[in-house]
Parts: sequence; C-alpha cells; structure tokens
Amino acid sequence: MKIQLSLLSLAAMAALFTAGCSSPETKSAGDPKAETTGGPSAGKKITVCLLPKKKGVPYFTSCSEGAEEAAKELGNVELIYDGPTSGDAADAVKLIDQWTAQGVDVIAVSPNDPAVLGPAMKRARDAGIKVITWDADSAVDTREFLVNQATAEEIGNSLVDSMAKDLGGDKAAGDVAIVTATLTAANQNEWIKYIKARLPKYPGLHLVATKPSNEDQKLAFSVTQDLTKAYPNLKGVFAISSVAFPGAAEAIKQGGMTGKVFVTGLSTPNDMRNYVNEGVVKSVILWNTKDLGYLTVYAARAAADGVLKADGTLKAGRLGEKKVVGDNVMLGGTITFTKDNIAQYNF
Amino acid sequence: MKWLRSRESALAVLLILLMVTANALEPKFVTMRAQGLLATHLWELAIVAVPMLFIIIAGGIDLSVGAIVALAAVTLGLLFERGTPATVAALAAIAVAGMAGFGNGWFVAKLKVHPLIVTLATMAVFRGLAEGLSLARPISGYPASFLAISQNNVPGYLFAVFALVAGFVLARTKFGRGVVAIGMEETAARFSGIPVARIKLVLYALSGLACGLAGVILVARNNTAKADLGMGLELEAITAVILGGARIEGGRGKVLGLVLGLFLIHETREFVSWHWKQNELNLIVIGSLLIVTVLLERLLAARRRA
Repeated sequence: MKIQLSLLSLAAMAALFTAGCSSPETKSAGDPKAETTGGPSAGKKITVCLLPKKKGVPYFTSCSEGAEEAAKELGNVELIYDGPTSGDAADAVKLIDQWTAQGVDVIAVSPNDPAVLGPAMKRARDAGIKVITWDADSAVDTREFLVNQATAEEIGNSLVDSMAKDLGGDKAAGDVAIVTATLTAANQNEWIKYIKARLPKYPGLHLVATKPSNEDQKLAFSVTQDLTKAYPNLKGVFAISSVAFPGAAEAIKQGGMTGKVFVTGLSTPNDMRNYVNEGVVKSVILWNTKDLGYLTVYAARAAADGVLKADGTLKAGRLGEKKVVGDNVMLGGTITFTKDNIAQYNF
Repeated sequence: MKWLRSRESALAVLLILLMVTANALEPKFVTMRAQGLLATHLWELAIVAVPMLFIIIAGGIDLSVGAIVALAAVTLGLLFERGTPATVAALAAIAVAGMAGFGNGWFVAKLKVHPLIVTLATMAVFRGLAEGLSLARPISGYPASFLAISQNNVPGYLFAVFALVAGFVLARTKFGRGVVAIGMEETAARFSGIPVARIKLVLYALSGLACGLAGVILVARNNTAKADLGMGLELEAITAVILGGARIEGGRGKVLGLVLGLFLIHETREFVSWHWKQNELNLIVIGSLLIVTVLLERLLAARRRA
C-alpha cells in the first residue's frame, strides 16, 4: 500500500513536472466549462495530441491555430501538435506509438495514409486511449469519431451556387464541365453526385463533360484546353481537386480566356491567390480550417469525458452546438474566398 | 585501462547517461511497457545494419537497402493480392530481395564497379520497380497469423540471433578475417589467397536477404505493403555502423559497437521526440550525435598519443 502510494505521488509529481515544462501557459487545471460532464476524466486536465497529415503546411498550421485557441479556452487541455515534416506515414506511426507509450488521453489523427496508420491507431485504442480522426477518415474500427469538415452535399451545393453566381446568378447560362482527380476518387465522386443534383436549380447551365486529371497538374492543364476547344460555349469549369484547380486555371489564363471562362473549385487561398487577383478564378471554396482545429479539440475533450455520443450534439465554444451525425461530428459550412476577402487569409 | 577508451565503452557510457537523464525527466519513458512499444521502431533498421557493417568493414557500401526493402514489401503485397498465402509470399519476397542483393554483388565483385555507383544506381532502379509494379498504391489486409511475425518482439529475438552469429563470424571465422583483410588492403588480401570476389558477392547477397526480412517485418507491422517503405533506411543504417565505431574506409568495425550504436540512436531519437514533442528535432540530434562521438574519439586518441 505504501509503495503504491509513493509510486502514485511520484507519478503525479512527474505529470506536474512535465506539464509545467512543456506548456507553462496552460497550467491551470480544472475549468468550470467542463463541469457538466460526467465521465471518468471529467474536468481533469487531459493531454490531446493533434496529428496533421504533414507538419509545416499552411493548411494544417491554420488548423492548429484554431486548436490552440480551443485548448486555451477550455483551460484543461494540454495540446501537443506534432506530425511528420516529410508527410511520411511511417513517421506518423512512430508518433502515434510514442503517444501511446506516454499514455496520453486523446489522439486526433488526420491520416495521411489510413492503411499504414490503422494498426498504430488500433494499438493506441487497445491501450485505452481515445482515438478520433479529423480532416480525413480511416477505417471505422481504428477510431471512435470523425470530425468532418463539410458534407459532400454542402460542397456540391456551394460549388454550383458560386459557379452560378460567377456566371450571372439565376440567369446564368452556358456549358459547364468538371475536371476531377481520378474517375475512382471517392471524395470527388460524392461531390460530383451533389453537383449534378444541384445543377437543375439553374436551368441555363448544362454539364457537358466530366474528365479525369489523375492528380496531374499538366494533365489538368491539357484536359481543360481540350474542353475549351471542344465546347465553344463553355463558360465554367469545376476543377475539384487541389491539383486540378491550378492546372485548369492556368489553361484558361494561357488560352487568353480570362473573363470568358471561369474556374472554381476547392483549394487554399495561398494556392489560388494569384489566379483570384488576376480574375481567372472568381471564387475558391473551402471549409473554415481554424474552426476545424477548434472543433477537433472540443470533440477530443468530450470524447475523453465520455460525453460525445453518436447522433447527439456537441457544445463547442464559440461555434455553438454542433450536430453529431452517426459517428461524424459535423463542422459544416463552407467559406468562399473572392477578390474582396482573400487578402485576409494566409494559409 | 585501454578498454575504457574504446568506442564501445564510450557508447555504453552515453547510453547509460541518456537513460538516467530520461528517468529523471520522463519516468514513464524508462518502463518496460514504453520501451517494448517503442522497440518496434528499431528492428528493421537493426536487421539491415548488420550486413551493412560487414560491407563497410570490407571497404564497400550499400545504398540500395531501403529500396530493396520496398521491393520485397511490394513483391509480398502483389503476390498476396493474387491469392498466394502470406507466408509463401513472404518467402518469395525474401528470395527476390536476395537476388537484388546478389545483383549488386555481381556488379561490385565481378565487374569491379565501385559499390557507391552500383548501389546508387540500383537504389533508383529497385525503388522505381517497387513503385512501378505496385503503381504506388498500398496493399493491405493480411491475416493475423502473418501479422504475428512483427509482434511479441519476434523481430527483436531475430535480431539478437543475427547479432550473435555475426559477432561470432566476424571474430572467429576465416570468412570474418577475410572481410577485415579485404577492407584493410584488398590487393594484399587477394595475393594472400582470400577469395575476395566470392566474399563480396556473399556480403551483398546477405544484405539483400536481410532487407527482404526487414521488408516482410515492416509489412507485417503496418499491415500494408507500399513502395515508399524503407525510405532513408540506407542512411540510418550507415549512421549506426559509423557511430558503432566502424571505419568508413573499411578494415575495422565490431558487432558490439554496432549494437550499442543502434540502441543509442534509437533511445536518443525516441527520447528527444518524447520529451520535446518536436518530431523534426530528431534529425538534428542524430547528426549531432555522430559528430560528437567522432570528435570525442579524436580527443581520446590525442590523449593516448600524448
């Protein structure tokens, strides 16, 4: 008994020591905001590890800023943001194993390779750590919840709506085409489904072709060039992968069709800034990356407290109440970057 | 007191210092549970580093080890995907890797091309083959019986056997003495009747086989075969060998030194990212560790002369 006690106090001292070392600004333990919870770790200080696909990428850095904001707000979350600078999945596995050995409370993973990370995520779960995914998902048995940035329906709708707006609103008329990643890409095919479902809202717009670019910017360039030649009435191109988007925009720019054919798609402001300022692209669509990181930390806290339930709701600070659909915590909502607001965003 | 100044004792002292510091700063780090979990990150490197030690002692180098690991992994994956039982596919993968190593050896020993050039070329060829054959996609879904290869410290025991056998061969056999002799002075070795070409051929082929085994273990641990497995493994293996006290020009090197070097690299790497929680610090620390060890040895050597 005595030994156990002294071991316990030793461990407590160690925990205090490490917590004090690594994050002096979040030392205050216990927070009134968490008192509604009933799980075993309710209100206690927990360690949350946030793993990006790749560290040092503006997109993920922006997510981590939101995560830090949430950790500060909660006050009882020590946030560790670390990931492979190379984007190497094997490095991500090593980090997950290490966090498992440390016995952290929650690991939130944006898997850069779900197949490779899966076994490590399972090892973490076997060790009693809560594992959730954010930004991208992995197999359902490797995690409890996914923090989902936007539904395919929202993305599809918002792509079509902004295209219509770019082409003159309800009276928009002309041919439109889709340049996708590969014809088998799961995300893109979901989006295409909802693009097709939304298009009838604008009777003037006609979808004439869907072409793959195989995640190759040069191919996206030539495919877009071919489209403009094949369809003289082409007014808009949905370039729905981060690689296809700049490729398609470059084809329009070099073809001298700026202002005649508009490209829209999903990307970060930094990647498309020049095309937006040059007028090749009127709108770039994305979810709010800071909010994604912010929500992930709130979801992690709730998962640790055992109050995150499938098909329930989650109170997430300034984001208000968020829906949990199945095991997906929905962020929802997209932002559109245009010439007017793109200067405010740097990621 | 001469043994105190050897590389092995310097490494052992550094290792003990590291673990004592780790125990003070992060008590959880120095527990069986944590060490057991983290050890899994070491074995592929350790297994590949043993033949690398022999090759470097013999005055050669093998830059293609990481690529052969990938080639073996992809071979396993593709065969398994087409219905071959995982264990049979694993044996085939090791055989393919052995042939890849034999190819290296043939160029080095028979055609007498510099090993740096040969393995630099085959590094690209094997990696390219792995990527081309698999189309760079991951192949997953192996049975639990196969995944067990990587569990319960099986790779650790395998490495222990390897290290013991390697230590014996290097110190006590004609083959081992031949390896050292080639590294000291190849022409002299040839004139004294040592089968230089045959020994080199065997070394590179063994390196290939070890890479095959490492590839199989990696696939079992990650439940995935992928063409980018083992990326950068060659430099890690060479670092461990040099840190362990082998001379890059050949002629000198010990298995005990390599084992200590491997553990020192492993524990340093794990501890640094555990304590400072910055993954990228690792690279700096491993590089510095190598420089510090070499400088330390210079210092000791200068003292000895004085």
